[in-house]
Formats: sequence, structure tokens, C-alpha cells
Amino acid sequence: MALDQQTEMSRAETDALLARHETGVLSLAQGDEPYAIPISYGYDAEAQTFYLRLVSTPESEKRQFLSSSPAVRLVVSEETEPEYRSVVAKGTLKEVSTDEMTVERIEQFGDAKRPLFEIWGESKTDLRIQLYELDADDVSGRFIELDPSEYA
Amino acid sequence: MSASEEDIVFTCPECGETMVVNPAMRDALVTNGCVVCGAAVAESAFEVSDAAQE
Repeated sequence: MALDQQTEMSRAETDALLARHETGVLSLAQGDEPYAIPISYGYDAEAQTFYLRLVSTPESEKRQFLSSSPAVRLVVSEETEPEYRSVVAKGTLKEVSTDEMTVERIEQFGDAKRPLFEIWGESKTDLRIQLYELDADDVSGRFIELDPSEYA
Repeated sequence: MSASEEDIVFTCPECGETMVVNPAMRDALVTNGCVVCGAAVAESAFEVSDAAQE
């Protein structure tokens, strides 16, 4: 399949894509061991900051990877033929304690899609729910418009 | 938040998270839901306790 043109998205287009979606893939590493998970997020376009709730159980390996403020990438993508668009945000994930709570943070996390707690099959009181902010150092988007003649 | 003479203590009825809040944060929680789990929050989730000490 031929790739006609790959174009960098503008800041407005990038923010619009992030606003259309609420889920993406968060990736990080510890040494040479990678870790990637689907997450739901809220996004403050003005500050280029993402708000995430990450859920884990006592046995979860997630805690091991998130134990110190890790460098991460968050990928959000969409495909609307003949276009494919993706955004990659890079930054450091910072845990937010409830001791640091503010009205603004309550509002921002309120806009973030809640995790699918049903996946764990346990009550919320048995899960560990941690709040994180990803203050992105870089948010870049690209889109590719494919040649429609390539589609059967 | 530091303690004041009257603390507003929020306890989420679903996830059990507890935190001290001010009136503006209480209003934000009622409007937006529990900041930790996203559950809807009613006024009954808040308790004003007298934290003043002699």
C-alpha cells in the first residue's frame, strides 16, 4: 500500500484529535524492560497536560513500573479512511496525592474518562487507584492520507 | 490541606478515599464526582468536624 504523504498536524489539529478521544496507550520502560497499557485520560489543551487514573491490585506489576516518576509516551490514534492520524505525547508521569488536591485538579480529573473498574472484578475499595499528571514536554501529531485507489 | 477550626472531611462512598477539603473543593467534588474513582458525590459524603483543639 503506497503512502502518499505524511504531514505534521498543527497544534489545533493535534488538540482536536486528543479532545475527540479519551483513551490511548501509555508506554514506559524500566531499564530494557518495556511496559505498555491502555489508559483513559483527560486533556487540558492549554497546558498540554494529561490527567490519568491508573488502577492496580496488590499483585500488579504496574506499581513496579510507576514507582518513580518515569519518562513516558502516550499514543492516541484514529483511522478514518483514507486518513490515519496519530498523536504522541512525551513527558514525565507525576503522581498526584490527594494532599495536593485543588479545585482545578478536581475539575480536570472530572473531565477524564473513568477507568473500567469492572475489568478487575473487585470492589473499588480493594483496588489501588492512583492519580497522575503527564505534563507533556512535546505533543506531536501526524496524519497520512492514503491513496483511495489502494482500497479494494 | 492544613487543618482549620472546622474541617470538611470528604469520604467517597464507593472507593473509600478520604480527604480534607475546603468549601470550593466540596462544590467541585459534588459537580465533578470523586476525584479518585469518578463516582457521583452527594452532600452526604461530607462531614464537618470540629478540629479545634484547646
